[in-house]
Amino acid sequence: MDRLDEIAADFALVPAEERLYLLLDFAERLPPLPARLEAARDAGLGRVHECQSPVFLYAEADDGRVALYADVPREAPTVRGLVGLLVEALDGAPADTVAAVPDDLLYRLGIAQQLGMRRQQGFAGVLHRLKASAAEATARAGS
Amino acid sequence: MADYAHPEVLVSTEWVSQHLADTDRVRLVESNEDVLLYATGHLHNAVHVDWQRDLQDPDVRDYVGAKEFARLCSERGIRNDTTVVFYGDKSNWWACYAFWVFKLFGHEDCRVMDGGRAKWEAEGRVLTTDVPAFPSTDYEAKEPDPSIRAFRAEVVRHMEAGRPLVDVRSPQEYIGEVTHIPGYPQEGALRGGHIPGAVNVPWSRAALDDGTFKSRELLDEIYLQEQGLRPKDDVIAYCRIGERSSHTWFVLRYLLGFKDVKNYDGSWTEWGNLVGAPIEKGEPEAE
Repeated sequence: MDRLDEIAADFALVPAEERLYLLLDFAERLPPLPARLEAARDAGLGRVHECQSPVFLYAEADDGRVALYADVPREAPTVRGLVGLLVEALDGAPADTVAAVPDDLLYRLGIAQQLGMRRQQGFAGVLHRLKASAAEATARAGS
Repeated sequence: MADYAHPEVLVSTEWVSQHLADTDRVRLVESNEDVLLYATGHLHNAVHVDWQRDLQDPDVRDYVGAKEFARLCSERGIRNDTTVVFYGDKSNWWACYAFWVFKLFGHEDCRVMDGGRAKWEAEGRVLTTDVPAFPSTDYEAKEPDPSIRAFRAEVVRHMEAGRPLVDVRSPQEYIGEVTHIPGYPQEGALRGGHIPGAVNVPWSRAALDDGTFKSRELLDEIYLQEQGLRPKDDVIAYCRIGERSSHTWFVLRYLLGFKDVKNYDGSWTEWGNLVGAPIEKGEPEAE
C-alpha cells in the first residue's frame, strides 16, 4: 500500500463533512521552499496558472526518484493543504509512482463534493503541473 | 469613503474593531474563496458563510431557496434587523458575492468592511479560531428580488436594445483566447468571446493593492469617463459564474450610485454554451 492509499484510508475514517479539515494539518506541515528555488519563484517559473492564488511547484529527479518542493501562501489553506498532501505522499517516490497518481484523487479522498467544481479545477492544475514537472526532471536526469 | 454615493454600506476596519462585541446588533460574516481560511483564524465573533456550500443549491444550478436562506441566517443568529458586515479574502470579492445574495433575499442592512481580511491582518489586528455560537432567530427571508438578478432572456433583450453590458473577466477571457482551464472543461464554455456590445472592465480594477475600493474619483474615471457609463443607465454585469461580477455590481450600485444594476449570474458558462447565442470575439467593434 503506498502512502497515498494510506492517506485515503485515513480520510475514509472521518465523517464526510469533517474530512476537508484534515487538509489543515497538511497545510501546516508543508515545508518552506528551499532558498535556492526562491529566484525561480520570483521570476514566475513553476507557477500553477489554474490556481487563483500564487502556487509554485518544482520537481527534481535523482536516481529515478523525485524530490518535490512547493510554495503556497498561508492565506490559501485549502490548496496549501492539497499541495502539502501531495508533497508528503510523493516526495522521494519513484518517478512512475508520481506519473501514476490517479487524476480523480479528490474523489478517492472523498472530498471532491465538499470542494466543489471550481476548487477541483485548481487542483487538477496542481496535479497536472506536478506530473509534468516530475516527468521533465526525470527526463533531464536521465539524459 | 464619504464621497461614495452610499457611503454607509462601507465600514472601516476600525469601525469593526469597535463593534466586535456588539453581537446583539451587528453580525460579522466572513466569506472567502478558500473554504478553509475561516477555520485558520477569523475576526472575533465572526460567522462563516461559504459561497458554495451555503449559498448555492447542491443540485439545481441556482441559489438556495428563501427557506434555506432563512435557516442559514437563523443558525448564525441573524435577525431581519441585524446589521450584517461582510468581509473576506481576495479584495472582498466573495464578501460582495455574499452581500449580493443577502440582498437577493431582501436583507435590509448589509455592509462591507473595506479592505477585507488582508487589511485587517496588515494592520496587525487580532484573529481567533474560536467559533462563536449565537441563539437561533426567527428569520423571515423574502422571495428573491428580481431587480438585482438578470436571467438570460433579459440579457438577450438588453443586448438587442444596445444597453450597457460590463464583462468583468480578464482580457484573455473577453477576447476569447481562453474558454476553460486546460484538462478540466466541466465548468467551462464551448465558445470563447463576449456578449456583443459588452465592454471589458476586469473587476479587480475597482480595487487597490491593499484590498480597499478605489476612491470615487478613480472609479468615476474608469466607469464613467473611460467606459462612458452613466448612473441613470441600466447596466448588466457578468463574468464566468457570476461571482466576480457581484464585486462590480457592488461598486456600480453603491459606490457610484447607479440606479439599476443587475448581476447576470448565468454569465459566460451559460451564454458561451447557448445554442445560437451571438458572440463577439476580439476587441469590440468600432462604432
